[in-house]
Amino acid sequence: MPFTIITGGSFTSTGAGVKILLPSSADYFQTWNITQMPLAPATAVVVKAEWFGSKFGFGATAANDGIRWKKTNSTNALNMDTFSTATASNGFTYVSTNPVIEPQAANAITGITAASPAVVSQTNTYSDGDIIQFYGTTGMLQISGMNFQISSTSGSGYTLIGLRAAGFAAPATAGFTRRISKYLAVDPQFLYITEITKATSAVVRTSVDPSAYYVVGMKIHFSIPYSFGMYEMNQLTGTIIAVDAANYTLTVDIDSSAFTTFAFPASSASPTAQLFATLAPAGARTQRDPNTWVETGYNFQYQAFHTGQFVPYMYLSGGAQSPAGAADDVINWMAYKLEN
Amino acid sequence: MSFPTGITNINNMAPELPVQASEDLLSTPQFNLIHSFGVDLHHAETYVGKTTRMSRFERLSTDGGQLDGSGIDPASEVPTRTDIDATMEIYAKSIVTNEQVVLWENSKTLTKFTALLGQWLREKEDLLMRDLFSSSVSYINATGGTNGDQPSNISLNDVNNIETILLGNDARTMLQSIDAMDKFSTGPTRDAFIALASTNLTNDLQAVQGVLLKNAYPQQAGLRPEEYCSISRFRFFVSSKGAKTPGISMLGRTVYTIPMYGLEAAAKIEQNNYTAVIGYRPPWVVSSVAQNSQLYAKFAIARAITNQNWISGLNVTTRQAS
Repeated sequence: MPFTIITGGSFTSTGAGVKILLPSSADYFQTWNITQMPLAPATAVVVKAEWFGSKFGFGATAANDGIRWKKTNSTNALNMDTFSTATASNGFTYVSTNPVIEPQAANAITGITAASPAVVSQTNTYSDGDIIQFYGTTGMLQISGMNFQISSTSGSGYTLIGLRAAGFAAPATAGFTRRISKYLAVDPQFLYITEITKATSAVVRTSVDPSAYYVVGMKIHFSIPYSFGMYEMNQLTGTIIAVDAANYTLTVDIDSSAFTTFAFPASSASPTAQLFATLAPAGARTQRDPNTWVETGYNFQYQAFHTGQFVPYMYLSGGAQSPAGAADDVINWMAYKLEN
Repeated sequence: MSFPTGITNINNMAPELPVQASEDLLSTPQFNLIHSFGVDLHHAETYVGKTTRMSRFERLSTDGGQLDGSGIDPASEVPTRTDIDATMEIYAKSIVTNEQVVLWENSKTLTKFTALLGQWLREKEDLLMRDLFSSSVSYINATGGTNGDQPSNISLNDVNNIETILLGNDARTMLQSIDAMDKFSTGPTRDAFIALASTNLTNDLQAVQGVLLKNAYPQQAGLRPEEYCSISRFRFFVSSKGAKTPGISMLGRTVYTIPMYGLEAAAKIEQNNYTAVIGYRPPWVVSSVAQNSQLYAKFAIARAITNQNWISGLNVTTRQAS
């Protein structure tokens, strides 16, 4: 079976996972850790990794797995096994379909604090900026099914900037998460709303950093079920006048100062309380500010409907024992396809 | 077991050709194409970029306006325009065939492969529109069902809630009413919005209060095969490729997304001079020894939600875990 190299490249690892977009489907994929290859590292560092696609039948690689070539402790001797043989190692995940569901294994959480921002306790291998989908939560049923972007990530937990849960009656004590793609199949995409202020220009907090999807001048349409309090905002459309990436907020030209206070329904109200509060893209208002000469409504990178997550792609897990390597490692990669 | 005999039979003279091709090929499976027929079709000109802008003027305020006789003119109003942009994208698929297949296969492979590519064009377009609906629209969790999950299974209250939203936003229905007729076990349907659902939901749709299954419509002429039933102000169309997300309900079940909308809620844009191209590259082009030929199909499409006020929908689970 002759192979064709369809694409290849190199990157310097940050220690986090890397998504490699592929111009066509792939049948075989390799990575080399060029930095670690000549060294004799003290741990079982992966220096080469391989992935086999579905055309290999029973020999195909399972999701989040692959063959790893690793150094034996403090020597140059090579050993081979699979990523799945070590729970601390994650491998390759090939994603070729939409809706984009990276088949990351479910990961149990041990708690979500009722604080602002909320903090999650969980043994994890996530990275800052990952989007995590929560489900099956015990306590905090009102967020089960929502997606959140994570930050201040450590191996034992992370922070949810987009969830200010100080008003919640109780913390979550259990539940599950799964990492999903940052982008849905189509952008701009709907976002979950976690807070709306009562102000002349309402400030809307979302569960993820909205600056990745929305810019000033775009219009957004609100869907706010009665169970969230601020029902006056339901079905209104506003124009974005400010975006705050640090606090995950959008400011819109809607005067909400006389509206009912926005609040999550109580966990005890599930499953009958209507969920979720969301916003969705509603075009743009094209304008020019004669003082600043700033024109809005022409940002075709964001406001035009377009494919969100390009598929297929190969997700390389990060870390010394994974294909994307540890921080500062130089990784070469190459994707192959069986010849037609 | 073979018995010695003087009779010529199929044991001592087996057929020269042990197999024959049936007169017709069996059907190639095709899923119901439900995500495109309810959207508006626009066309993009060539040589003017890849982004199409669709614009809508919003209505003027009806507040005030009465002249009080003082001679003072009422304040003028600046109309606002909403611009909906969509980026053109191109998709392609090819089949490379060795000459020996063409030479010896019974079923006229190049013709059949061309038909397969034609089917791919329609199916891919349908899935792209499905992805638009699942990514860029706000959905509300059903809560009127009885399965104890969040979202719950679909109920009449949930369907009526979406009708309230659409009517409150002045959405227009898409399908005309079907008048009552003097036929047993049939009932009229109102003018209706449309709803797009996974085939996994048909069991639950049948159980919704007031459901009118398709066979109970007074007339069957002109109905699409993909249609399943009418509930309240919605007529439901089903596809095995309806949007769903596995394992994310409160109880860990699959959540199904049902877009529900009226006229001019969404659009697809075709590229002039580039829509649905099917082509053939002969062996002397594809292969250095002229043994492989190639069939390809490609098309250009842009897609957009053109009015969020006129589209909504439900997230639901099923009564039986799925």
